[in-house]
Amino acid sequence: MNCPIESRNSEMVVAYAAGQLDPETARALEQHLAGCAACLSMAADQTAVWKALDAWEAPSVSPDFNRRLYRRIDDGAQLTWWERLTRPFRPMPLRQALPLTATAGLLLMAGLLLQHGPLAPAAVPRGEVVRADQVEKTLDDLDLLRQFGTANSAESVHPDAM
Amino acid sequence: MGVAVAATLDYDAELMLRVKEGDGTSFGVLLEKHRASVIHFVYRLVQEQAIAEELAQEVFLRVYRSRSSYEPTAKFKTWLFRIATHLALNWLRDEKHERGQERLDDVSTDLPVRQVSDRRPSVEQELVYAVKLDEVRRAVAALPEKQRAAVLMHKYEEMEYTQIAKVLGCSESAIKSLLFRAYETLRARLAHMETT
Repeated sequence: MNCPIESRNSEMVVAYAAGQLDPETARALEQHLAGCAACLSMAADQTAVWKALDAWEAPSVSPDFNRRLYRRIDDGAQLTWWERLTRPFRPMPLRQALPLTATAGLLLMAGLLLQHGPLAPAAVPRGEVVRADQVEKTLDDLDLLRQFGTANSAESVHPDAM
Repeated sequence: MGVAVAATLDYDAELMLRVKEGDGTSFGVLLEKHRASVIHFVYRLVQEQAIAEELAQEVFLRVYRSRSSYEPTAKFKTWLFRIATHLALNWLRDEKHERGQERLDDVSTDLPVRQVSDRRPSVEQELVYAVKLDEVRRAVAALPEKQRAAVLMHKYEEMEYTQIAKVLGCSESAIKSLLFRAYETLRARLAHMETT
């Protein structure tokens, strides 16, 4: 076997340290290592690196990872392109907006009450003056409407009479 | 036809083509299969668990959103890790720009809980482990970005040089050279550590 270092094939030593070489190549390399101090040193160091990296365990994944992901997928799927565009400018959610709107309405009403006193009932206030000219006009209007209705019904009957 | 092409590549690509056709279950299968490896890879790159999970969410979100344009031109895992590497390295660049190496100096965060089967480690053993882990993390973090990503894919994902080359957009010979330099640096920094 050619010296891996001299033949610029040091990945073979890396693969050996990782236990990734096939048994035949590994045996051939071990025979070479027995007579090559540079390769032996490199193999030992690389094995130490490999074991050191083995010690680095990654933390376990959060149990709600999938739920969060699917929620993000659902959020994205429900939005139209216009909603995505205007998303940063959207007003607050309805759940938060409703109590605030109700509170603002109550405050407004309270302010009006304080300014103008209690609201009057819907009934006609006592002592109100009924204006005669307005009654006459209303009656005139009713007469006009009645005449108009009579004329219409007469026209509608006319074709049948023929 | 697309599925037949994908089958010659790998089963994951076939699943992704099913996702493209509207099969949400296949997306779930891909997620279950690759979730941990993506999160762990990103975690070892950025060295913060919360950030790693956030970036991994973004990875799978992008996979899902780009399903309609997916074409099985490479192994699914290559495509997946290309997205993951891209997002993680971008985050590192932004982070480096904003805060320098401040976060990497904080070695107390996100230490994994060691799995000890038969007996609890002593305080001394825990300290030795923490110091050792700190040294490993610092050594990896000190590598240039591409070397770091290449080492992590090679060591923990057992990816071949060709696959790493495709993920990082380099030639295979460039990856060999990249890994040679990376392991050379790591040997200089970590070879003295006792193998326990």
